[in-house]
Amino acid sequence: MSDELVKKTDTRSVTQNKFKRIVNVAGIYGVVVLFVILGVVLQALGIINNFLTATNMLNIVDAVSMLGIVALGMAFITYSGHFADLSVPTTMALTGIVAVQMLQFGFFVAILSAVIVGIVIGLINAFAIGKLKVNPIIWTLALNYMTLGVIRVVWANKQIYPDMISSSEHATKLFDNIYRLRFFNKIALPMIMLLILVVFFHFLMSKTRYGIQLKMTGAALKAAKFSGINVEWMIGSAFVLSALTATLGGLTVTSLSRVGAWYNGAGYDFKAVTAIVIGGMTLAGGRGSIIGVLGGVLIIGLMNNLMTLLGVGTFSQDMIRGIIFIVVVGLNAKSLRSMGRDDA
Amino acid sequence: MGDRDTSKPAFVMEQVSKVYTGTIAVDKVDFEVFPGEVHALVGENGAGKSTLMKMMAGSFDDYTGKIAVNGQEVELKSPAQAKRNGIEMIYQELSLALPISVAENVLVGRLPKKGLFIDKEKMVEETTDNLSKVGLEHIDPLIPIEDISQHEAQLVEIAKALGNNPSILVMDEPTSALSREEVERLFEIIDGLRKTGLAIVYISHHLPEIFRIADRVTVMRDGKRIDTRDIGDVSKEELVQMMVGKSVTEFYRHETYSGEEIRLEVENLTRKGFFHDVSFHAYKGEILGIGGLSGAGRSELAQVLVAIDKKDSGSIVLDGKEVKASNMAQALNEGIAYLSENRKTEGLATRLSIRDNILGALVPKLSPNGIYDKKKGDPVLEKLIDALSIYPPDAEREVSTLSGGNQQKVLMAKWIAVEPKVLILDEPTRGVDIGAKVIIHNAIEALAKEGRTIILISSDLPELVSLSHRVMIMRQGHFIKEMQKAECNEESVLLAANGEGA
Repeated sequence: MSDELVKKTDTRSVTQNKFKRIVNVAGIYGVVVLFVILGVVLQALGIINNFLTATNMLNIVDAVSMLGIVALGMAFITYSGHFADLSVPTTMALTGIVAVQMLQFGFFVAILSAVIVGIVIGLINAFAIGKLKVNPIIWTLALNYMTLGVIRVVWANKQIYPDMISSSEHATKLFDNIYRLRFFNKIALPMIMLLILVVFFHFLMSKTRYGIQLKMTGAALKAAKFSGINVEWMIGSAFVLSALTATLGGLTVTSLSRVGAWYNGAGYDFKAVTAIVIGGMTLAGGRGSIIGVLGGVLIIGLMNNLMTLLGVGTFSQDMIRGIIFIVVVGLNAKSLRSMGRDDA
Repeated sequence: MGDRDTSKPAFVMEQVSKVYTGTIAVDKVDFEVFPGEVHALVGENGAGKSTLMKMMAGSFDDYTGKIAVNGQEVELKSPAQAKRNGIEMIYQELSLALPISVAENVLVGRLPKKGLFIDKEKMVEETTDNLSKVGLEHIDPLIPIEDISQHEAQLVEIAKALGNNPSILVMDEPTSALSREEVERLFEIIDGLRKTGLAIVYISHHLPEIFRIADRVTVMRDGKRIDTRDIGDVSKEELVQMMVGKSVTEFYRHETYSGEEIRLEVENLTRKGFFHDVSFHAYKGEILGIGGLSGAGRSELAQVLVAIDKKDSGSIVLDGKEVKASNMAQALNEGIAYLSENRKTEGLATRLSIRDNILGALVPKLSPNGIYDKKKGDPVLEKLIDALSIYPPDAEREVSTLSGGNQQKVLMAKWIAVEPKVLILDEPTRGVDIGAKVIIHNAIEALAKEGRTIILISSDLPELVSLSHRVMIMRQGHFIKEMQKAECNEESVLLAANGEGA
């Protein structure tokens, strides 16, 4: 009996969505293309110069590669339904300053120390949020300030410079090269790191047991737990991943500025969240992709580039980024509500 | 309030119906309650009593039929309209705000003001006035709700409802969280309210309570009103028979089963505060029913069996080997699976696709070396979507867009997919339509025929009695009775669950 009966009673539309699904992912790159077209038009009108050149395109990616590295790791936290890691800025600063300090024992000791510090911060977050279930926003915000305090106290509020501490010129050179090494004279090392991370993280998030279970954890924590998934471990691991990419970002930023200081990494928390959200990863978790987040990062890069070419000031740029974040989150919430969900 | 005319009904529903997508939840029901009367509404889960109650509360704007309050025809299409017409609700779960004061809770929405500010003196006075109606005048109106007992909070809830000076009071299982003495005190208060001429609708499935407090009783089943009787004219057995009905005979399956190989042995299993010294065994291919009232400890037992919660003592032996799982993943590996009664929170990730849900617990098995093999799940997925007629049969469809019945089928499919040795089903057909119910029942029987052991926890008596080969009755955390198929019928199970040997 039942086949017929059941089929008749469900009158809701069946034609959701293969198309919609494609548009969702492609949409982000549609916006990327729109920004490029905007740049081309502005150039054609003579308002800006040098937009559509190979050098400028590389500049764009170059400029956002550090942001991209940090955002990709943090995306795992958003995907797990735990919003964001606000301890990223001082994680970057601390790992950077530790690396500079340890350069006195050589380059590899410096890198290793930074990574260990990063993992420790990640584990602290993992324990507090995964195991003790502290609110992730409040906890990482607090940890961010605590770490800031540690840096200021330990280094007595001073900045430290690689060339003054390093054991050898060779080590200093290696450290400088984290940001400056270029392949074929064009492609910078951070860009390569970003690309490797995109490939690896995309695979991890969409093709592995870990990624599938993380999606379930993010989409429905309790249902995941009742499916035999160790949700505490899943959530914790996302925070460790985020701390590791923050370490990578911290080393790169410090190499760029050639100074270990408490302010390295400032602003990366909000910029990363913006990239993640623009990239189509909803704050409710379980939705979105690494490719999408990369799209979000590229949009921010293009936007920054265009605004700079147009001569928009730094503070105005911040304002515009804030507005865009609010609009994107708002639109997302609105479209979810109209679909009968309020989980934006 | 004593001047109310008790010869005319305070509240009348005439031929009211409510249709959810695909199912008729309330079907042309007549219902009335007089001033000074306590009218009980009884029925099994899914009989339509809570839908009828929601209708009284103004939760639906698409019901059909006529409703009249004090002789005047009215519309109850929003909660505000219901309140305006003097209807007040008291729900099973308290609707009080815990951290704020008793007074602010009781007078919410109508706090007395002096200019811009709250008139504290008047607030205390009015609250004490209201509290005295429920015998709580000794409570300080300024302490927060969280500082008073559950029982007192329940009475505050009533005081809050009375503060709006209602003519009809609807109470949904008001005793579910109360002790025996507290229940008696509540009944004394209800007796008092009855004398003031208040019309009271009392919803419960604890039959002894109904005989204690009600003047009349209306029985609902399958969305229809079966009968309304004076409480003096009806026996407990008759009431049970009316609740259970005969229209469900199509579900009776008189298959007997004589188990030979023991699959699961549970000895003196205890989780303190939830259940104590529970012992039972189950055979290969057996459907073992566990009956009892909600709160008897059945779900808690299930959750210990799958290691979601930890046991305090006792042993679980599966196929002759002690199960030492310390988390659910290990229990699943050993072959014990659990379908939760809470479909939307613990069962499904409704924002994910049918695929993600059905294969949700199978991910480890589909991931050799940690790499998820999406294609490997396809045959299982196709087979289950087909076997359970999940509609629409689109694996990528988001589960939240399916009907309740189809969502439940997806949940069932999820646990069939892991091919467990022992599958514990906790209310596997709660709130689903007949079509889905039949499909799920067939699936349960098929699983048993394959030799899997099914532990069926259900408050749906026809389901429990017809599917189970044997039924254990659980009451207040203990197994109190074991019934073989032959002695098992809905009446005997219901009476046993209420603690009365039949």
